[in-house]
Amino acid sequence: MKSVITTVVGAADSASRFPSSSDMESVQGSIQRAAARLEAAEKLSQNYDGIAQRAVDAVYAQYPNGATGRQPRQCATEGKEKCKRDFVHYLRLINYCLVTGGTGPLDELAINGQKEVYKALSIDAGTYVAGFSQMRNDGCAPRDMSPQALTSYNQLLDYVINSLG
Amino acid sequence: MLDAFSRKAVSADSSGAFIGGGELASLKSFIADGNKRLDAVNAISGNAACIVSDAVAGICCENTGLTAPNGGVYTNRKMAACLRDGEIVLRYVSYALLAGDASVLQDRCLNGLRETYAALGVPTGSAARAVAIMKAAAGALITNTNSQAKKAAVTQGDCASLSSEAGSYFDQVISAIS
Repeated sequence: MKSVITTVVGAADSASRFPSSSDMESVQGSIQRAAARLEAAEKLSQNYDGIAQRAVDAVYAQYPNGATGRQPRQCATEGKEKCKRDFVHYLRLINYCLVTGGTGPLDELAINGQKEVYKALSIDAGTYVAGFSQMRNDGCAPRDMSPQALTSYNQLLDYVINSLG
Repeated sequence: MLDAFSRKAVSADSSGAFIGGGELASLKSFIADGNKRLDAVNAISGNAACIVSDAVAGICCENTGLTAPNGGVYTNRKMAACLRDGEIVLRYVSYALLAGDASVLQDRCLNGLRETYAALGVPTGSAARAVAIMKAAAGALITNTNSQAKKAAVTQGDCASLSSEAGSYFDQVISAIS
């Protein structure tokens, strides 16, 4: 799974050489930033439920008929639950990305094939964008986490939003 | 290939859980000891040629039959192959130590090594002994307790956990080939 360390090791291995001093510098740089990433991951693991719920509320404020645009009103509760489930899923993968320090978990477990799936299910990707945009504006430093941690977290939200665009 | 961080992500994903407090604590200690880890990798890679040639010379001294006709390293060609393999093993151990996870060592080096050595007629007992000598040398270099230590200002006992972690990777090599 892609991270700074595995990338460095992979490059060293394909050249059949021991880790060089520039490899060490890359790993050291990643480690220095890791404390903030882990802080964001920890806060996210504690607060994901509220974050996802606020995103669902934002989605349904903007799209009252839900993600497919043709959802009967009596299914609204089920639709909201599925919407929240999906946001929690993405937040979990963001949590993994914050821990690994790369976008590997998001790429491998969500983004690959995501457009095709949403197209096949007639889900408007714009509804997800609405939810993630709300999350993007939801986080606040230092109320939620330190500024550096929030930057890492927002960076990954932006990555998801761009993947849906 | 995984590292200490992505290992946590893979194991959390198998149960669909978020990575929270308990798992993060071990990663925080990984970060706190990050410089020590890089120094340990540097101790191995900087002394690689010495570690490998000492280990191969060691098995030849301990077992003089190896260099006799029909021995395991009889002919320079076999000796050179032995030195090359020692360096490869040490290189993958240094990768594993850098990543804090043995997956790169297991997937790219040890997987199928026993069968390869059996097919080539490599004496695995001697190969395992060479790895054990490399283990001792690497452990001493990481803790700066080698007999001809470069007298840098290192706090004694500082890198004991990294030394034992490196030792565990060498042990995996030994159990994979013997």
